[in-house]
Amino acid sequence: MITGTQIATTMPSPVKVGDPVDPIFRQIRDLVYKVCGIFQLEEKLYLMADACGRRMKQLSIRTLREYWDLLTTHSNREGEIRQLLNEVTIGETCLFRSPPQLDALRKVILPELVADRSRQITKRLRIWSAGCSTGEEPYTLAMNMLEESGHLLEGWTVEILATDLNDRSVETAKAGVYGDYALRATTDYFKRKYFSSFDDKKLQARPEVKKLITFSRLNLQDDSRMLFMKGMDLIFCCNVLIYFDGPSKAKVINHFFNNLNFGGYFFLGTSESLFKLNDKFHLVHFPGTIGYWKPSLKSGKL
Amino acid sequence: MTTSMTATIRERVARIETMPSVPAVFIPLLEMLNLPIENVKLDEVVKLVSYDNTIAAQCLRMAGSPLFGLAKSPESIKGAVISLGLRRVETILLTCCLGHAFPAKSLAVDPTAFWRHSLGCAMVCRKFSDKLGSADGDKAYMAGLLHDIGFLVSCIAFPKELGTALVLATKEQTPIDEAERTTMGFTHCDTGRALAEKWHLANDMVQVIAHHHDPEQSEAAQPLVALVHLSDLLCRMRGMGYGYYERRMVDWVGDPAWAILKKEYRDLDGMDLARFTFEMDEAIGEVFALVSAIFGGAIARN
Repeated sequence: MITGTQIATTMPSPVKVGDPVDPIFRQIRDLVYKVCGIFQLEEKLYLMADACGRRMKQLSIRTLREYWDLLTTHSNREGEIRQLLNEVTIGETCLFRSPPQLDALRKVILPELVADRSRQITKRLRIWSAGCSTGEEPYTLAMNMLEESGHLLEGWTVEILATDLNDRSVETAKAGVYGDYALRATTDYFKRKYFSSFDDKKLQARPEVKKLITFSRLNLQDDSRMLFMKGMDLIFCCNVLIYFDGPSKAKVINHFFNNLNFGGYFFLGTSESLFKLNDKFHLVHFPGTIGYWKPSLKSGKL
Repeated sequence: MTTSMTATIRERVARIETMPSVPAVFIPLLEMLNLPIENVKLDEVVKLVSYDNTIAAQCLRMAGSPLFGLAKSPESIKGAVISLGLRRVETILLTCCLGHAFPAKSLAVDPTAFWRHSLGCAMVCRKFSDKLGSADGDKAYMAGLLHDIGFLVSCIAFPKELGTALVLATKEQTPIDEAERTTMGFTHCDTGRALAEKWHLANDMVQVIAHHHDPEQSEAAQPLVALVHLSDLLCRMRGMGYGYYERRMVDWVGDPAWAILKKEYRDLDGMDLARFTFEMDEAIGEVFALVSAIFGGAIARN
């Protein structure tokens, strides 16, 4: 139950940046983190407040206290927490969503992987975008790899595997057609170099970008198929784990760990956490972003 | 480092009569911080601060910051001491005093970046120390605040050499201490140590200043040195570094400092590093605001 005395008893009014937020949103934030592993920064709590307001409206709930009860004591509380989180993160997806991740990839990880494998005969890099939704992430990765093809990755083969549970998403992803909103963080340089116009409003990824990516439908909970996703160097699984409960989450993560090569990296969404789900990965920091590292054999820190 | 080099550093540091424009209260304050808390008299601290209006005003502004969690800004130094406790106020005072210590014409280090990093690191050290359940959060704060003080010395005693090292570090995107070793043969840890000894700082602080880049080499207070080492790395990965991209990965759990801390804090592995990082991000805006509020004047003079 809620402690403290300052609980708003009516619908939350829209909260603006800089306004002090009702302490209950901090409790909801902590609850969402505990159940879904996604942390809402203090400065983004107003988004949480807005989302609560929308959910309450949809459910015809009048007070925050009632909504809190639904989130904590109702039999479908976890379902509601996920609905709420969906409401918070809605429309966030776009190409080039997390520049610090891409910087870590190109400035820190690739040089290291390339140096590490310089003596191997097959120069091949395998990347998996797990839960790729409508394809924004794999296309972003593909373009960034192509940028390195004349430099770091000269002579390398890059394979990007993009999977999603939803057939329709996979079909959309395959088409590679995006409008202004999805391309809001994509620079003109990348638009010009890697897209052609699809119609007067949308752009389509060029064949050389698509060539790097294999799209397919995959259920991350399908153990038999997960066993065959071996030999990955990098796995991205951003804001997907929220759809699983605790034990399934741990199982999926374990598959990811096993499917990564030693010294490989696993990335979650920018505010997502693996806490208590896996103790074999090392949480590692790159400038502005967190990643998870499968220690290499030679590091002796398995 | 050779013996003759150590002698050169000592000699150059000895020639710095006092740090330019260090407030008169600085040295007596440091002496007070070395005393056991029961020997420090509230009235003496208040008197000391009242000598310098600027310092007193800054100290109050800082004590009122959300980072210190008071519901109401204290109106007097005495009020601040009562609300925050003597040790906390001493560390705040020290922060303010140091704000004046930066050389008026710095050739090398950007004062804003220096204070953001030092103050940021102080905050992280205290939060980290609190997370570990250590009683000495204020000591950790002070250690974080002072760890890079060698840069102040190097700016004065070796301005050109340090300038060259910083240019190299920025260009190669490497840690500054590595660049210092390449270009100068010694680092801010060595100059900092000479100053710390000249000021007769407590040995724990001397160890932090001298060994925060190689905690396993410290002769005493290893857990404190290790804590500062990790906090320093975290700050540099989360936007509170020296203002350039450090091309590296930081692996806390694989760091020797982690092993040192683990001996002291058995349940260290149970710490939620992801959440710790996100919570720290929330404090960044406040740290930046504080640096402008506290050191703005000092920086503007340059």
